[in-house]
Formats: sequence, structure tokens, C-alpha cells
Amino acid sequence: MLKTRSNTRQNHLKLARQIVDYALENGLGEGDHLPEMILSNACGVSRTPIRSALKILEINNIVIRREEEGYFLKIHPEVAVSGGMAQLEDVEDSLANRILKDRAERRIADVQSVSALVRRYEEPRSSVLNALKILSADGIVAQLPGRAWAFQPILDTPNALRDSLSFRLILEPQAISAPGFAMDSQKAGMMRQQMEEMLARHEDEISNTAFLRLDCAFHSLIAEGSGNRFIRGALLAHHRLRSTTQEDQSIPDFRLRQALEEHLDIFDSLERSQHQLAADQMVLHLRRSQIRRPQAANRGIRPLSQGTIG
Amino acid sequence: MTAPVIALFPEASFGAALNCVGIAQQLKRSGAVPVFLCHAGFTGVFAEYGFKEYHLPASAQSSQQAEENWQAFISTHLDHFNQSPMAQLQSYVAPTWEAIVDTAIQAEAGLEKLIKRIKPDAIILDNVIMFPAIANAGVPWIRVVSCAETEIPDANVPPYLSGMRPDDPERQIFEAAYLDATAAAHKRYNRFRHSRGLAPLPDGQFLEVSKHLNLLLAPSAIRHERRRPLPEGQFVFLEGCVREETRFELPTLPVNDGPLVYLSFGSLGAIDTGLIGRMIDVFATIRARFFVNVGGFLESYQNVPDNVYLGSWFPQPSIVKQADLFIHHGGNNSFCEALYYGVPSLIMPYCWDGHDNASRAAATKTGEHLGRAGWAPEQLGNKIRELIICEEMQIRMKRISSQMMSQSGTAKAASSILRTFSMLDSA
Repeated sequence: MLKTRSNTRQNHLKLARQIVDYALENGLGEGDHLPEMILSNACGVSRTPIRSALKILEINNIVIRREEEGYFLKIHPEVAVSGGMAQLEDVEDSLANRILKDRAERRIADVQSVSALVRRYEEPRSSVLNALKILSADGIVAQLPGRAWAFQPILDTPNALRDSLSFRLILEPQAISAPGFAMDSQKAGMMRQQMEEMLARHEDEISNTAFLRLDCAFHSLIAEGSGNRFIRGALLAHHRLRSTTQEDQSIPDFRLRQALEEHLDIFDSLERSQHQLAADQMVLHLRRSQIRRPQAANRGIRPLSQGTIG
Repeated sequence: MTAPVIALFPEASFGAALNCVGIAQQLKRSGAVPVFLCHAGFTGVFAEYGFKEYHLPASAQSSQQAEENWQAFISTHLDHFNQSPMAQLQSYVAPTWEAIVDTAIQAEAGLEKLIKRIKPDAIILDNVIMFPAIANAGVPWIRVVSCAETEIPDANVPPYLSGMRPDDPERQIFEAAYLDATAAAHKRYNRFRHSRGLAPLPDGQFLEVSKHLNLLLAPSAIRHERRRPLPEGQFVFLEGCVREETRFELPTLPVNDGPLVYLSFGSLGAIDTGLIGRMIDVFATIRARFFVNVGGFLESYQNVPDNVYLGSWFPQPSIVKQADLFIHHGGNNSFCEALYYGVPSLIMPYCWDGHDNASRAAATKTGEHLGRAGWAPEQLGNKIRELIICEEMQIRMKRISSQMMSQSGTAKAASSILRTFSMLDSA
């Protein structure tokens, strides 16, 4: 029960951050209205969690609620990002993020003792343990016999990204073509709108972070629809890992747009119940994402096709 | 009139490849249809920027053989990168020219077929060697010199790959040693040219100048005063050829204050994880944020300091733009990007024209030169601190940057190419 509450709280915190990002990306300022329906469409969730997230922002003095009018920005979203947002995070959640970020950036080793983490972060033992439990729920760390904790593989290196894409190439088309695929059309509709809005932005105005978030949500939605429970479970766990540990990859604008168009093509086929075509389009999409950057090349030295990034 | 198809053929290095991306982006904007001829190992690199790719046939070797060759290359040459330019002539430059000649011979048949298939209206060659299939294609070809300006010789320009000053008393000794080191590869190459109906080239030269257009990536801030100026029109100097990249959103580091320093030794330089590891130890002692490109070797690093961020790839123009200092290997593309954004360079060259650019940066006060081997931690730390805080340097770099930005290199390159093309078309 404690874990469920903690996860829900985390989701609302993430959503609260997403709302501030939305305000920032859409040029909203102090005093601007934040309509629940628009936020619900933009974030691809129902209005209930949006209300909870807005409540958190209200408690943290980032938005204000006016009776019968709704929520309005109390401060400029840039100010929220630079200052107020830090208050949003409770200690455990913030600490879990810090540990995860430090692991992804190779600042801490694969195996950690709680004492070492207490020393590094100067936080109480109970907070460190709670943070590790949060990470453990997402499959990022596992407790070893004894007191040590071990990090599981995460998407932190080109080789890990290559393995991730190979894994997805095996399972994602199967997720669609396995009997019983059924997509949540309401969520798909909201997501389609977000993709179209992103595509309408000017050249170089799509941020990699926003794209990655939408990309994870799209592929999670496809996984959710799979008629095979094991494919569904494996893919959802993997996309959760992607959304928490995959770094922004600095993909050129052309490829970002191409990938969004590919998502929309897959939606089109699924809406027409052309599942096999959608599965083939997924193969194409993932193969195109396997852009190979030569690991090394120089005069007279043939480039090697290693070190996949995509 | 249909849009002209312009085939760009950069050599298999990121510097040349991405320099050509900058030119191609501008050509596309001007209504041409740029396409890329590329080595199989570059599959997808140009497509990511929205350009059509045509691949040379892949080598028959398996990926395991390629990996073994690569490991052999590393173990053979890593020590050579610490040698002087003179010592490298025999240990690195000579075998590299042999390999370049091999590449040209192996690519010939596939390249000829590709060109016949694409039927381009012009070909842009950004390389250090002529591929006879290009010279024989029956369409104008344009040369891009994306190495240092030293690639086009002159009495007032230091010898290519020497890292010397123009008036160095040892100049003639180096020039003679260069001819000696390249003689065998050169003889073999001239035989190959003859077999393909091309005239031989003078000793030491592997690529002729284009009679139509030669683009030199040599900004005026670092250009040499030539004894025999290059003919205008046939030679066009560019003030930088910076491609458009996605915006790099700086991650927040656990220790996130101080100036921003970017380190990249290019795709080949990243293999020296020992050197980069020692540098990271020094970075941990400096109040600054360090972003380090470690290429495909991210897994070689542990316990990264809190003011350092490692990445396997950065959109370089975007991060250089935000940097206060750029530590690099003297690749011409990197050096020009530093100048373009007004960022001082600390150049630690390991081979080729990196030596020339390191000397030029020091001579023009646009950066400093530090040898890869033999530096003490305090020496590296002090150089970094000095370059970051030097106000005189900042003013100079800002002036250079605004001058370069006012004359878009990519726009000038594209308009020169299209002008040449239309002149030929109307002739």
C-alpha cells in the first residue's frame, strides 16, 4: 500500500513538472490560464491526475486556483523551473532521482552500500533506503543478500541503447501482431494531437527531452494494447526503464520529425485495423532509429559500424 | 530547368562528413538536390539530416575482422600519437597514406557505378586524395579543403602536417623527410592513376586542385599571407562551415557552477582513454563544468567527478556555442567551430593537420598548444584557468566570431558552387 501511494505521488509530481514544461514550451506567463482539458490532452492523461498535479503546484505557490475559473500561473514558468520546482520534490523522490542520475552519469559504481550512499548524499539512512525502494520498484536496483544494492542494466551507453533497440525490434512488432491487440483509442487520440502539435513547431524547436517523453508514451501505449500478457509486461517494464534512464540523445531535427510521422502512420494503420501493416511499420521505425554512428574513422581507416545510437 | 543534383563525397571522418552536411543544408535551401556518396560505415549519418545516401559497396571483411583490425590499429598507433610530427612521418603518416591509396583503389569500381547511376550534375569532393572515377565522371568536380590551409602548399605556408612556423629553419629537412615517407605510396598511386587514364601528380601530392572551384575552410583570422596568392574565383576561402544542429540542453551537474569547458578529441582521439582519464582527474580540481566526448568508450570510465559530464556524442556546434573553452585535437572543423563561436582553443594534437592548427592557434593567439604527453597536472590546470579568464583573449575571440558570423561560410560555399555550376551550364 505504501508503495502504491508513493508511486502515485511520484506520478503526480512528474505530471506537475510536465505542466510547467508545457507552460514553458507554449510561451505562457504569469497570470495565464491553465485549462484542465488542454493539459489533459497535452499530457495524455485524464483530468483527475491533472487536478492532483495542479494541487501540488498550488501548494508550492506555482499556480493559483480561482473559484469557478480554474488554475492560473502565479509565477512565470521559467521562475518555477529555476526555483520553485525544487520544492516540488519530496526528499525520497528527489534522492532517488539524484542516485539514478549519478548512476547514469557513471559517478557511482554498480554495487552500492547504504552507508556509502548516506555519506555521499548526506541524507538519513531511512531516506536513502526509501529512495532505493523507489528505484527498486522500477527495476533499477535490486537488493543483494546482505546490505548491498546492485544497479541493473540501464540505458546509459551506446551499447546499452543498441541492446535496447534490438530487444524492442524483437518484441514491439510482435506486440502488435499477436492476437487480441486493442489500443486505447482515447489515449491514442490525445497522443496524436500532441504529435501533430510538435510537428507544427518551427525547425529546431522540438526539444529532444520532450520528444523522448512522447516517444516513451507512444511505445508504452502500443505495449499496453498487446494481446499477449508477457510481451505486454516485458515491454512496459522496458519502456519504464527507458523513460527513467534514457538520456537525451541529441537527434537531428529531420529525424525527430520523421520519427513523429512514423508514429502517426502506425496510428493510422492501427485505426484501420491493419495490424500486420502497423507491425511492419514498427520494424521500419525501429530500424531507422538504429542510426549507426561510426565508432571511429579517420584518414585511411575505414569506419566501423559500431556504437549504435538511436 | 530541373534542380541540379549535386553529389557530395566526404572522406570517412566526421569532420569532413559534417562539414559537407553544412554545405548540403545550404544547397538544399538554394534549390539544388544534394545527395551523399558515402562509405557503408556511415550509413544513416546523412539520412538523419534528411539527405539521400548512396553507399559504396561494403568491405568483404566480417565485423569480427573489422574489430580485430581496429584493435590492431589502436595497439600499433596509440604510442605514435605522442611523437613529434617529424617522427610520425615514418610511424604514422607513411602507413596512413598507404591505407588511403588502398581506399581509393578499392572504392574505384563501386564509385564509378554509383556515379553512373546517380548522374549528378556536379560532384563535391572533400578528401585528401583524388578518386579517378570522379575526375573521369564527365561532370565538374569541386574540391573542398577541410583540412588546414597547409594542404595547399606555398613558400609562406608551413609544410603540411609539420606543425612548424613558416620560417622554421628545419623546414627543408621536414619537406624532404615527407617526400621520402610518402614516396612508396605516391609511386603506387601514380601507377593507379595512369591505369585509369589520369596524369601523374608531383611528388608528395595525391590530389590536384579543381580547375572549377576549390573551397578552403580557412577563416581570415588564421589565414596565411601567401607568397603566391591563390587565384580568386578558382579558390574561395570560407569563414567557417558550421552545420545546423539540434539544441543541446545542458544537463545539471551535481556541482554545477563555473565556466563551461568542452573536450573532444574527435572519433579517433577518443580511443586514448588513459589520457582522457588523467585529464578528468585534473578537471575535478578546477571550478568549472566539463563536458567530455568519450566516443564509444563510455564504459571505460567510472567514478566520474561531480563537475564532469561524459557523453558518447554531442551536437558539437550547439555545445561549443555555450562553451568558455574548447579542448580539442586540432581537427580543422573543430578549430573553425571554436573560432566561429568565439571560444578559445586548447589544442592537444595527436596527428595530421592537428599539429598545423595547434601551432597556428598559438601564433594567432586564438588558443594554446599543449603536447599530449609529458604535461604535469598543474600545467594543464593552469592553462585551462588562464584561457578561461584571459580578457584580452575574450575580446579578440568575440571580434573574430562576429566577423565570421557576418559571412556565412555555408552560404558562401553553396553560392560559389551554384555560381560555378550555372557559369558552366551557360557556357
